Amino acid sequence: MTRRISKGRQRVEMVKMKNASNLQVTFSKRRAGLFKKASELCTLCGAEIAIVVFSPGDKVFSFGHPSVDTLVERFLGRDLPPPNNDVHNQLIVAHREAGIRELNTKLMNLEEVLQMEKNRGESLQEIRRRANGQWWESPIEELNLFQLQHLKEALERLEQKVEKVAQQQKMVNNHAFPFHTLGSAWTPPNCARESSSYGLNVGAPFANRAIGSTSSIVPNY
Amino acid sequence: MTRKKVKLAFITNDSARKATFKKRKKGLMKKVSELSTLCGIDACAIIYSPYDTSPEVWPNTMGAQRVLAEFKRMPEMEQSKKMVNQESFIRQRIAKASEQLKKQSKENREKEMTEVMYQGLTGKGLQNLNLGDLNDLGWVIDQNLKEVYKRIEAVKKGSSTSSSSSVAAAAAAAVAAAAATSQSVAPPMEQKPAVMELGLDPMQRTQTEWFTDWMNSNTSDQHIGYGHADEMILPNFNDNHNANVWPNNFYP
Repeated sequence: MTRRISKGRQRVEMVKMKNASNLQVTFSKRRAGLFKKASELCTLCGAEIAIVVFSPGDKVFSFGHPSVDTLVERFLGRDLPPPNNDVHNQLIVAHREAGIRELNTKLMNLEEVLQMEKNRGESLQEIRRRANGQWWESPIEELNLFQLQHLKEALERLEQKVEKVAQQQKMVNNHAFPFHTLGSAWTPPNCARESSSYGLNVGAPFANRAIGSTSSIVPNY
Repeated sequence: MTRKKVKLAFITNDSARKATFKKRKKGLMKKVSELSTLCGIDACAIIYSPYDTSPEVWPNTMGAQRVLAEFKRMPEMEQSKKMVNQESFIRQRIAKASEQLKKQSKENREKEMTEVMYQGLTGKGLQNLNLGDLNDLGWVIDQNLKEVYKRIEAVKKGSSTSSSSSVAAAAAAAVAAAAATSQSVAPPMEQKPAVMELGLDPMQRTQTEWFTDWMNSNTSDQHIGYGHADEMILPNFNDNHNANVWPNNFYP
């Protein structure tokens, strides 16, 4: 995937954008950013905010805390300000705020982990970039038939080897733990996972090693 | 402007909270204005603060009333379709972040295992890997194999172009030349022109000569001492190795 080098933040002229597709993209991004800022303001300062925005396609987006409707009613004067503040109401508000706090915490942690994974991705990219690669590491398009056939054989052999080692490991596990415990509460800690999903692997062995450290597997370039 | 990471929680310090409110409110109003101008759309913002009974409004009370009237005129379903409150909005953001994380983790895992695969091709051991790693490694190898098979087919099919057929011919010639001879100085020299036609740069050329020879001399005396045959799947062409290990025949 080629990475286009962005020019970074640029000043935008405050006039209606000319290009329709850019305009739509800008709208999507800025609307999301606007709602995010509003959400933050509510959380940080206990403000109550309503925002209503019409899209270029005449759809309407709205954000409201505690809710769009109650705030709009309040603004348009259709109900008596200030809203009632009895104990019952306060409990409801407190409960809601607690829920929001929890969600915010969850979101923050998630974004932190995401950033770490992104950094890890960059490191891996660096390793690949700096790697003094062998001919078989070049893109497939650059290999001739001769090389391709050799690579094919080598990969097939490696695959068999992986199968073999995997079988060995499974044997060891079965010996040590004759009952099929993997995946249950009886599984000893640090036991090999029977299968790995190709999804979240934040706890995987490789993930625990900092890139660039003395790992026996990933070389230090 | 200092960029400290702000904790997303209610600011308990009164003066700090008030200062933050003032700044961010101003910024928010600016953002609404920009969105409206840049995209040529109608919008309004209403902010109630604990510091004021009357709200702060963009663009102004009249403008906001107009926008809200327009809003209210829309069918109930259209109004609520894209309506969010704090809770639903944060949930949306959580969902999106989870998706991105899943994708990034998968990418990283693939990249990692690709490195392991390359290491494996030079004969490095697979001891440190657990079953999960082996599983993922197998997947990556499989993906690569599929691509190689596809590419081989494509190259074979595209034999109508002269370059690839001469490549095949040259490759065949190189292999034939190596196989037909025992250790002697002359054949390597004959080999070189053939390898040159493979269109490789000097480094690749010499590596391929090596590789050809290695492939064909497994049982011969030309044993270069790379280690056990079943460990070494592909010779490790490294600049450091070249200096010591290449027999002098090959270097004129």
